[in-house]
Amino acid sequence: MAFDRNVFINCPFDKQYLPMLRPLLFTVLYLQFRPRIALETLNSGAPRVTKIMGLIRGSQYGIHDLSRIQAKKKGEFFRLNMPFELGLDVGCQVFGKGNWRKKKCLIMEVEPYRYQAAISDLSNSDIAAHGGDPYRVVLEVRKWLNREAKLNAPGATHIWTRFNEFMAANYDKLRAEGHSPAEIAELDAGELIRAMNVWLRRNRS
Amino acid sequence: MAEKKANYHVIPEPTGWAVRRSGASKATKLFETQSDAVKYAREDAKKRNTDVYVHTRDGSISSRNSYSGTNPKPPKK
Repeated sequence: MAFDRNVFINCPFDKQYLPMLRPLLFTVLYLQFRPRIALETLNSGAPRVTKIMGLIRGSQYGIHDLSRIQAKKKGEFFRLNMPFELGLDVGCQVFGKGNWRKKKCLIMEVEPYRYQAAISDLSNSDIAAHGGDPYRVVLEVRKWLNREAKLNAPGATHIWTRFNEFMAANYDKLRAEGHSPAEIAELDAGELIRAMNVWLRRNRS
Repeated sequence: MAEKKANYHVIPEPTGWAVRRSGASKATKLFETQSDAVKYAREDAKKRNTDVYVHTRDGSISSRNSYSGTNPKPPKK
């Protein structure tokens, strides 16, 4: 798909973040963009950073969720991949030429200004606070893509409702195929994207 | 996978809980609590022989009640 429809998604892909990742991916797909995630190329032989740079180079848009970079307990390391990949994306825009100058970033956090304690260089950047609320992810991503890509997108509540309908249809489909509720709850990003694409082809409204 | 009939969904929204029919642009009814929304949806679904999906805050399914006889069978263990 074309550079101007690709959205690089920089966020955790663990089980704890899935409640936020699902509506994020759905909103991007609903608005007819293509989410580009590191997991899609992990099986190839190239170093991870090379794959990430390829995704960044190929995406006009980038969504960076910094809400989970903080260590949760004593002795745990600060998670540096996400701020590092944000830096690569910003660098591509600033130092690149041609289409790369058109790159746009959305930075998300739990609370406004919390990130400044860790990355004060981002002061005055456009940060959206989602408060850890899945609905607010839809609201913020829709608002940003609508503005930056000059869309005439339906409202966030409409997209949120369609997302809930997808979750119900996907639940029924997977249960009928023999998946347990616990397996459905942990469906990974790649499978989710495929299922969302299939559902949206038949049910977009 | 496509939903042909209009099932009910109990969905969390910023101002409370909405009961919505599949594909509808407007909520059928809004409630302050999830339990009131679920009660209304189940009663109406029985009359219409349709299904009710109760969603969690992240959109996942917390329960599904079928009044249409289409409840997917759980996997055999």
